[in-house]
Amino acid sequence: MHDLKQVAAASLAALKEAGADKAQCTARCTETHEFNVDGGKFSLFRTLFDNSLALAAIREGRRGTVSVNRFDGESIRQTAENCLAVAASGEADAAWDFAPETANASFTDGAPEADLDRLFDRTEELMRDIGARHPKILMEQMIVAHKKVTSVYENSLGAAYSRLYGCYEIELMFSAHEGEKSSSFFGSYVCTDSLDAPFITLGSIEEDLANVERQIDTVPLDGKFVGVALLPPSSLGEFLGSLLENFAGDSVLLDGTSLWKDKLGQRVADPRITLSAAPLDERIVCGERYTGEGYPSENYDVIRDGVLESFMLSDYVSRKTGLPRAKNASGAIIMHSGDKPLSEIIAGIERGIWVGRFSGGEPGTSGDFSGVAKNSFLIENGKITTALSETMISGNLAEILNNVVAVSRETVADGSSVLPYAAVGGVTVAGK
Amino acid sequence: MLDDIITSAAKLLPSDAHAELRAQMNRSCRVTLRGGNLIGNAKNETSGVSARVYRRGVYGFSSMAECSADAVASVVRAADENARFMARRAPSPDKAPIAPIPASSIPAVAPFTDPEQKYYADFAKAIDAYIAEKYPSLASRTVVATSDSMEKILAVSDGAGGHTASPRSYMYVFLNGETTSGTPIELYTVFGGSGTYEKNFKDPASMYEEIDRLYEHLMQKREGIYPDAGEKTCILSGTLAGMLAHEAVGHTVEADLVLGGSVAAHCLGKRVASDKVSLVDFAHTAFGRPTPLPVVLDDEGTPATDAELIRDGILVGYMNSRETAAHFGMTPTGNARAWMFSDEPLIRMRNTAILPGTDKLADMIASVDDGYYLIDTNNGQADTTGEFMFGVTFGYEIRGGKLGRALLDTTISGVAFEMLKTVDMVSDTVKWDSSGFCGKKQPMPVGLGGPELRCRVMVGGK
Repeated sequence: MHDLKQVAAASLAALKEAGADKAQCTARCTETHEFNVDGGKFSLFRTLFDNSLALAAIREGRRGTVSVNRFDGESIRQTAENCLAVAASGEADAAWDFAPETANASFTDGAPEADLDRLFDRTEELMRDIGARHPKILMEQMIVAHKKVTSVYENSLGAAYSRLYGCYEIELMFSAHEGEKSSSFFGSYVCTDSLDAPFITLGSIEEDLANVERQIDTVPLDGKFVGVALLPPSSLGEFLGSLLENFAGDSVLLDGTSLWKDKLGQRVADPRITLSAAPLDERIVCGERYTGEGYPSENYDVIRDGVLESFMLSDYVSRKTGLPRAKNASGAIIMHSGDKPLSEIIAGIERGIWVGRFSGGEPGTSGDFSGVAKNSFLIENGKITTALSETMISGNLAEILNNVVAVSRETVADGSSVLPYAAVGGVTVAGK
Repeated sequence: MLDDIITSAAKLLPSDAHAELRAQMNRSCRVTLRGGNLIGNAKNETSGVSARVYRRGVYGFSSMAECSADAVASVVRAADENARFMARRAPSPDKAPIAPIPASSIPAVAPFTDPEQKYYADFAKAIDAYIAEKYPSLASRTVVATSDSMEKILAVSDGAGGHTASPRSYMYVFLNGETTSGTPIELYTVFGGSGTYEKNFKDPASMYEEIDRLYEHLMQKREGIYPDAGEKTCILSGTLAGMLAHEAVGHTVEADLVLGGSVAAHCLGKRVASDKVSLVDFAHTAFGRPTPLPVVLDDEGTPATDAELIRDGILVGYMNSRETAAHFGMTPTGNARAWMFSDEPLIRMRNTAILPGTDKLADMIASVDDGYYLIDTNNGQADTTGEFMFGVTFGYEIRGGKLGRALLDTTISGVAFEMLKTVDMVSDTVKWDSSGFCGKKQPMPVGLGGPELRCRVMVGGK
């Protein structure tokens, strides 16, 4: 095992020696044990030992970054020199900096040590459970892994962190089959630090399997209507990701192309919407503890009760724009639950669509989206009826956030996010 | 370049099982200028060794971030232990032995070097300065200079070994504007291909004409219209035909996805396209020239040859690993590739293209009374059912056989094996693209290409 604090100290010294005014080092060791299932059968067991050394330097306002996966003295020296050469190739920009000494902390969390026999048993059990409870499902690929990560961050301004964590990740990709008929594929993901519960009970795995089994027989939608889209966590997360990137992220604020650029402190969404970036929430497994720029991670609200409270900006773009820096860079999004049970929300929809997955063009800064509603169901007169195929949906991200019909009481926590089911209006649904 | 610590260490591989041993180095550089701000200036290099062992129908794999004799011994031992664990706990003894490959050696590659980061940065700054000066009214602009490479030394217990390298390098130019009604619009273009950055980019001025064309298209798009939604007669550009070949057809005929339930499982030997459509996954040579990203040896020790997939509209083959080739009774063609030293080989496409026909693009446009010529795309997704969705970022309406107004962003969708049956004209010119990564557990550089196709396809409208 490498002494990462020694690696970090040697790296900062090498960067200084090479001429850096300010320097930063992140050293990381990752040990992965992973079981793979392909086409419904166990196929592979792999064990990976990887290292990562990421150096950044600022000299005369010019910044460079270099990363390698070696820790020996000669590699550190060469990487430091390369880093300064990369910096020299750039332009001076006063906005580049590293975090001041705001914290000096050490963290241990999750399940750092793998219990491989139990992990294999749980994986086998999941295969058995799926076979028994969802016999039409064919597992295209299942990846079950334990990751143990040791990392150290240090910069020349005095910020220093060390961390040890471990977690189990379960990724499924599957479809349902009956003779030559099949559903579209669907993916489920869960991150956990415990092997106490059967995997099929985690996240939305069981619900996802059941829904896909009901999507073998589909019909194309006849005609076109404007109605309600019911977004379960699987597609809600995709829409929120696009929305935050296009309205609150680094690029669009740096460009000045964000539609929200002048909306800080103003209402941008229905008052029932509260969106937090919260890596320290107990439902987030092994969430971020410090940012890549050296700041301690804190939870914050992007939108609170419909009001834009914060952009999601890096320190660099914060300095460029004069807008506040985001308090973490985790992507651990939590959307607060509503007060209606999902069954009541469905019962209240006269005509709409359940969108399990969205396959569409990446929405641009206008927020317009258009694409195929995959793994979808038609909702008519308060009931989920038939599964749909070749059905397009379109709308605008900013508009649907202001056109909320209901937010469910139920949420799905998959270890990386916590999301409810959201019903939004004003979505165009079009068949062939 | 890598020192060869692999060939002599092949003796460490178990003698009673198929096994592979690989050393690999990946390098990349990326310089990003956004609105003149140098927001990214990074270099990356990773290297290490890995081994994979096959026992009773299951694999064990291990990797280590170190290129040394000790690391080689460790990964061979760990991979065999993992294979034995799986052979004990979850064997598939009914699987056929993996497909045999005669022993041989691929000639070593010529050494290559990356230019200094300054070369990338200076080139990107020159392009950015040209755009900033000539087109000051743009809402924003982004210039990216990038390269990546994989270098591998492979030894296998049975099959071909060798030393291969595949550098590629690109420049991306993004231009942003607004429509007359204030809607943000964007177009981008890519330059480059296989080879080092210095080889592909010598003179910034050689790119100006294409940048001017991109700006002209952006100005046309400012006045653009949304197409009418519904099934239309369209001409897909070579770029879109290539995406169709890769996303909507290629993935469904990767043998691991066939075993995972793709639509192609039931289509072998059947008609899946009109007789004007043929599709090949090329290895290293296509149409008498090197492919955009030549592959000569895969990571299971199979020398790369072309995989014929669709011949005159009939599905005739899959892309295989040695394991799936044995399952389907096919010949492996070198499709099992790994992205990094720590990745196991997966079935991947190399250079997948629809073959050219005999039609001229001008005749194809003239043949459409009411439809669209769809040219550029920014993304595409497809299902294992063959249902696809592609974003379309630029195109023209066609009215009475003539190009009309430019189009705003839209989407096209359909089911590949149904839509391909509507192809009734195929142009005589193939356009290749190779700058992207295919995503399937691991990223992988791939080439994709095709001629213009006339077909019926669902257009999303607004």
